[in-house]
Amino acid sequence: MRATLGILAATVGLLISATPVLAHHSFAAEFDDKQPVTLKGTVTKVDWMNPHIWIYISAKDEGGKVTQWQCEGGPPNSLTRNGWTKTALKEGDQVTIEGFRAKDATNTCNSRSVTLPDGKKVFAGSAEDGGPNRGQKQ
Amino acid sequence: MGVRLLSWMGTAALATALLPFAVAQRGPKPPEGPAPKLNGKPDLSGLWQRPYVPDMTVTSRNGDQVADQSLPDAKPTPGQAAPKGPPGPPKKELPFTAEGKRVWESYDPAKGDYTGSCLPFGLIRSMNSPDPIQIMQSDQYLALLYEQNTWFKVFHVDGRAHRDQVATWFGDSVGKWDGDTLVVDTVNFNGKTRLDTIGHPHSDKLHTIERFKRTDLGHVAYEITIDDPAYYTKAWKNTRTFTLRPDWEIMEYSCEENNKDIFEGHIKAGTNPEK
Repeated sequence: MRATLGILAATVGLLISATPVLAHHSFAAEFDDKQPVTLKGTVTKVDWMNPHIWIYISAKDEGGKVTQWQCEGGPPNSLTRNGWTKTALKEGDQVTIEGFRAKDATNTCNSRSVTLPDGKKVFAGSAEDGGPNRGQKQ
Repeated sequence: MGVRLLSWMGTAALATALLPFAVAQRGPKPPEGPAPKLNGKPDLSGLWQRPYVPDMTVTSRNGDQVADQSLPDAKPTPGQAAPKGPPGPPKKELPFTAEGKRVWESYDPAKGDYTGSCLPFGLIRSMNSPDPIQIMQSDQYLALLYEQNTWFKVFHVDGRAHRDQVATWFGDSVGKWDGDTLVVDTVNFNGKTRLDTIGHPHSDKLHTIERFKRTDLGHVAYEITIDDPAYYTKAWKNTRTFTLRPDWEIMEYSCEENNKDIFEGHIKAGTNPEK
């Protein structure tokens, strides 16, 4: 599993899908594109509310230490039109979140993809958007 | 500063440019037929899917939004291999005045983001939003109901003169018909907003001209001209296509409801662009 995660982390720039819909503020107002994070853990709560959904997880690092994180997602309206519902992700689900950490160094992130253990993407956009990925330098 | 500015510009555009294309490509084929009429005028009414325009200097990949092709291509940023922003379609060089260029280059949303505070986006940025817009038309009025933050704008379409009133976020609009095109002229902006997510600036001298034309049942051709002599040496425009979505309904969007970004201090509140 660790090897798999390593590969995942190394290739995230190639695999990542387009989840974020930062429709009410600028990404750069809050998040740092130089601080990518990959979090693996258990969902403790989901806020399905405007202006963004928030996913809360207990994440375990490679040393086994558990920390609490909160990650921003897209607006419920856009996610709904993409076919997601508020029950797509539930408390207790195991997820891998790839995103970027907040500039204020709190355990806050912008989720770029949320993946269930079976590989299913939750709250993910289409890979056909053609947008640049996390691995590219701007 | 230059590197940081470059970094956030690229990331802002990257992060905000993604979903609308996915939505556009997933949508059903729009209804076909001639443009409907309302008492002899083309009827713009409907719920419209719009291309997201986070950067008005870039043409979208699927062509539903086109930057001003009369402008020159953007030059590489000094010390960099490419112009500011993410790789992709070429960017156009806006005709900044010295003051406009200074305000643009000094903009850093990490120092204050009025949209993060849920303050009104203003007319142009609301039109650039990825969320749909409901248009309702009568003989006297046009109503633009923005899903983005549940804002709206209503104005006369009889060609009357502008009112002399307090400057506002969305400005003072008046419309008139030019054949089958509704032309909307707007002035009296408060100068507290940005043109797009990436942060292109405008002053309180901004004057916009929007042209709405229902080309057929399923589409509206939209053009906006940015005329701001304080920040731009000449007027420039952006054109795009709206697509009718009869399968959608407009939804509530409360920006304040759970705005943890501000509530927890992750974003610095912004009230006014730096001058």
